[in-house]
Amino acid sequence: MTAPAPPASRLRSGLGYWWHSYRMMLRWEVTSLRMVLAITVIVQILTGAGFVLALSLFFGQVPPRSALFVSTGVLVVTLITIGLVLGPQLVAMQKAEKTYDFLWSLPVPRTTAALAWVTTNLILGLPGMGVALGVAVMRYDLDLHVTWAIVPAVLLTVFTGTMVGYALAHSLGNPMLIAAITQMLIFVIIGFSPINFPADHLPGWLAAAHRWLPLAPMADTVRAGLTQGVVADVARSYLVLGAWGLASVGVSAAVLGKRG
Amino acid sequence: MTEAAPDWSLQVRDLVKDFKEVRANDGISLTVEPGEVYGLLGPNGAGKTTLVKQVIGLLAPDAGAITLGPHDLVADPDAARQLCSYLPQAQMPIASFRSREAIDITGMIRGGDRATVVRRRNELIEALDIGEWRDTMGAKLSGGVRRLVGFAMVTACPGRVVVLDEPTNDVDPARRRLLWQEVRRLGDAGIAVLLVTHNVMEAEKAVDRLAVIDRGRLLAEGTPSSLKAEDRGRLRLQVMLTPRVATPDLPPFVEGHTRVGHNLMTVVAETEAAHAIGWAQELIGLGLAEEYALGATTLEDVYIRLTGDVEAVGRDPEGREAAG
Repeated sequence: MTAPAPPASRLRSGLGYWWHSYRMMLRWEVTSLRMVLAITVIVQILTGAGFVLALSLFFGQVPPRSALFVSTGVLVVTLITIGLVLGPQLVAMQKAEKTYDFLWSLPVPRTTAALAWVTTNLILGLPGMGVALGVAVMRYDLDLHVTWAIVPAVLLTVFTGTMVGYALAHSLGNPMLIAAITQMLIFVIIGFSPINFPADHLPGWLAAAHRWLPLAPMADTVRAGLTQGVVADVARSYLVLGAWGLASVGVSAAVLGKRG
Repeated sequence: MTEAAPDWSLQVRDLVKDFKEVRANDGISLTVEPGEVYGLLGPNGAGKTTLVKQVIGLLAPDAGAITLGPHDLVADPDAARQLCSYLPQAQMPIASFRSREAIDITGMIRGGDRATVVRRRNELIEALDIGEWRDTMGAKLSGGVRRLVGFAMVTACPGRVVVLDEPTNDVDPARRRLLWQEVRRLGDAGIAVLLVTHNVMEAEKAVDRLAVIDRGRLLAEGTPSSLKAEDRGRLRLQVMLTPRVATPDLPPFVEGHTRVGHNLMTVVAETEAAHAIGWAQELIGLGLAEEYALGATTLEDVYIRLTGDVEAVGRDPEGREAAG
């Protein structure tokens, strides 16, 4: 004989409710990706390490400065591609399969759903970052200078990368459009942003634009945590990156709060 | 000190919702009492899902009010999500969840403590007869079992209101009965159940009261019997015509008719029953029809009269032909 407990009359609130919801949503996200989790991590590791090694295949003798740029830049690429590309594509899939409504009808604070997704990105991105760095050190004999500053740099990079993707995915209604934009983003990240090479390699106007876009600051903050004397004015990078993070949170909150 | 128990009825008042040029809900008002199973019937695009999405806080109305007990669900969508459980018409996103995990996590997300959720999960798995698939991944479940797991997910720790959008889609007849028993038990526990369906025959048996909605408007509301009251004294004569035969001339005592495929549905007065049988036998004799059935009018006849939706006709009582 089944009988549900009488329904609750009191609304849940406060820190306990927030923390419980965060843990449950993290469990939901990780379980949702269970079948692709291992393969995603492996792909991240292989692309990260592969990118580092491919450089020497292209150029034979890689100048130390270029090796340093690519080896530190590729870490950023591994950290942000999931949040910026895979994340929006998952949301697009939820919209196309009409499972989006169920997920958004769950009684959790919206911030816990977002932070659970950021945490998932961190879990997925860190192994790839670690391996790519290890491979780079072995292959190019890099002169790294790792400081505690790598921690906030990685956290802020993952947070902002994930939240920009989140805002993008939730603002756009059309799943096809989301897929198209994220495909283009990959192209921009790898080929046309000063992540794997210095900004002075780009045309002036594009370099100027990147001063205000979040990609270059991600590379600068992470690089500043791993090297010495390579990155100038890292404080400005933190500010730009933080501003993008906050703006994405604002856009996400506005879009999700609008309710059609 | 005891407070007066609040009235936990769900009240929808003069609800209006527009999508660009289309008015999806046009001044809908209804009340669902705690413990009541309330059906929302209407053809596709009638505005049923739009209505429930406003109740659960996913859409904001353009005008009107929705309250549940002391809570204003329009002003406080967080309260709406906590107090209402929602089984959408689409399948649940549980491809990489084992059935029991999906039920447990959703139950705990809904605020149930682990022990209670696990006990209730085991009860539901037993009651819905899906024990065989307890540890099966969602990706490997059939549509019907996945639907039942979805039901268990949203009712492992139900809210004050449980919204079920076409809960029996893809479910086999035997387990449909089990599902309806569980829906009834939700009612017995004091939960208001809002059931969205366009399967009229099924709704007739499952609901306490229902509303018929079409083009965003509420056309009629009441118990299944009260809605049929207007058809009292009438009978339904169903004639299966021979394939490829044109609709025959109707005798004057036929008060109304609908044809779907070979199925000719007519309404006649009880006093004309003998004539009606005579006419049907004559059609069979002429080779124009293959068989006939005379019976009481059903909710389906009322529904068709109100909405003109003939798609709902011709499904067997288990609704196996119901659209997905």
